[in-house]
Amino acid sequence: MIRTEQISFRIGAFALQSVSCQIPNGQYFVLLGPPGSGKTIFLECLCGLKKIDSGRIYIDGREVTTLEPRARNIGYVPQDYALFPHLSVEQNIAFGLRVHGFGRKDVTARVTETADLLEIQHLLSRRIEGLSGGEKQRVALARALVLQPKVLLLDEPVCALDEATRQEVCAQLFRIQRKLGLTTIHVSHNLEEAFSVADRAAILHQGLLQQVDTLSDLLRRPNNEFVARFMRCENILCGEAVAQSAHSGDTKVKIGNIQLQLSGQHNGQVKFMIRPEDILILPGPDDSSCVVRRASCENLNAIRNAVPARLQRWRDCGSYVRIELVPPWRINLVAHMTHAAFAELKAKLQPDVIVVLHPENIHVLAKDSAYNE
Amino acid sequence: MFAAAFFLFMAAFIIFILTLIISDIFYIDKKAVITVITSRFIRHALWMSIWTSFTTAFIALFFAVPIGYVLSRFRFPGHALADSIVDLPIVFPPLVAGLTLLVFFSQTALGRWIQEDLGLEFVFQPKGIVLCQFVAAASLAIRSAKTAFDDVDRRHENVALTLGCTRWGSFRRICLPLAWNGIIAGGILTWARAFGLFGPLMIFVGSFRGRTEVLSTTIFLEQSVGNLEVALAIALLLIFVALIAITVIRLIGGSATAKL
Repeated sequence: MIRTEQISFRIGAFALQSVSCQIPNGQYFVLLGPPGSGKTIFLECLCGLKKIDSGRIYIDGREVTTLEPRARNIGYVPQDYALFPHLSVEQNIAFGLRVHGFGRKDVTARVTETADLLEIQHLLSRRIEGLSGGEKQRVALARALVLQPKVLLLDEPVCALDEATRQEVCAQLFRIQRKLGLTTIHVSHNLEEAFSVADRAAILHQGLLQQVDTLSDLLRRPNNEFVARFMRCENILCGEAVAQSAHSGDTKVKIGNIQLQLSGQHNGQVKFMIRPEDILILPGPDDSSCVVRRASCENLNAIRNAVPARLQRWRDCGSYVRIELVPPWRINLVAHMTHAAFAELKAKLQPDVIVVLHPENIHVLAKDSAYNE
Repeated sequence: MFAAAFFLFMAAFIIFILTLIISDIFYIDKKAVITVITSRFIRHALWMSIWTSFTTAFIALFFAVPIGYVLSRFRFPGHALADSIVDLPIVFPPLVAGLTLLVFFSQTALGRWIQEDLGLEFVFQPKGIVLCQFVAAASLAIRSAKTAFDDVDRRHENVALTLGCTRWGSFRRICLPLAWNGIIAGGILTWARAFGLFGPLMIFVGSFRGRTEVLSTTIFLEQSVGNLEVALAIALLLIFVALIAITVIRLIGGSATAKL
């Protein structure tokens, strides 16, 4: 288990601010954030490569805050792998073992075992120069794993790889992590990467931990606007709470001339979001054959938060269609539809449509709060 | 076309240098060559040039590695000033190094204490040759070492630390080998500067036959008494020795000279 308690570190104008989190044994944890958010610094603090100004770090129940990096039993793979160019692949992997004074037989046995695990036996005699990105990544991982660390820290381990190799390497990382049961922190700025490996994730912004959750919750229940936008939610709206229903527990929020119903009790200015894939689009009211996705015109009045909108443009984004809609308020809405659903809609398409923002799919955002363990 | 243009510049420079050397070869006569080969004093000057320059290069490297590492890896108050002071001897007019040393050892209490009380005599002594060469040339080794350490990604050392190394271990096993070529290149530059040093030596240690005379000062002495052929023959000897030394270091130091 990795546990950090209020760790702070300042370098120049940047500061890592009271970062607290807990990663249970065997969990694959992805630390997300835009470039410059402090992800690498956080990893370096965990490794002991940077001495924190305050706070405590525990690894496997033992406080390691003041320990040297070599005493923390951490496997670390930095960005771009930092393989030792003057050593062969085998010497790179064996480096830690030699430093720890392992005998020749033990070194050979453990290097072979680790190379087998990562399927890089054929690379052992090669020089680092000339290895492909994927091969370098595996060698760097082998070098970290050969010492059988308690935790594994991966700093953007696949960012230098092409798309196909990235997916393959992520799958391999996940398989190895599960096989060895290693507590792993994987730093990335890429959501697809996180979805392919993460048990849980955190988002860091300007040195401040914004949210720690499952990816599903980060996606649908973001703490604040930054997390919502980082998770690629474009529909962030702001309205004024005008009425609360004690009976249903809902709040009516006025946005433009429209009143939307939101779950829960809210006051004053309310900022909320709805994911593009959660927006329903129905053909305009005068279309008699409108049966699109889950709703129909017959029960339009019964549908809460049905709002007229104008279809502005749509774009094929490969696996989905991105549709921009102009609602009766200033900020456009963006909806995502599958190709099949869009084909069905397109056949009956008119510029005027009805969009449905189900209250269950609307999530109210806190006022830019940071995460606290 | 692009490569041809660049090769043209290189060819022009090499031809120019070779022309100068060849014109020297045609100028000297057999008598001058025999004089150079048979003179006990010139053999002594050659030996002095070789041992003092190599000693200087080794001492300079001994200082250059830690100083270069400190300047490359640590930020401390006065870093920029220290960095500039290290470079200062490179821009000294050569005579200034000799004059400064002479003033220090003859006019200051500390200099006199070193010479008289400690018994470490440098002025007009063979030891002074090494000191003089060190002052004039060590900056080149330090500068090269700093640049070489700058080129080593700090992450390599960081990884070594997480793999069990101490700071010294990561320096010895990772940083030093990766910076080695640049350090050796600095050593070669230092040696070359020391081997051909003339001005400061004339002031600080003089040119006493069989005692503090090195090849560069011998050339000056010979040409000042009108023995131009002998002076040029010694110059060719100096060039020949330098060529052999650089080739040997190139072979031993691997790709070090690629940094030159």
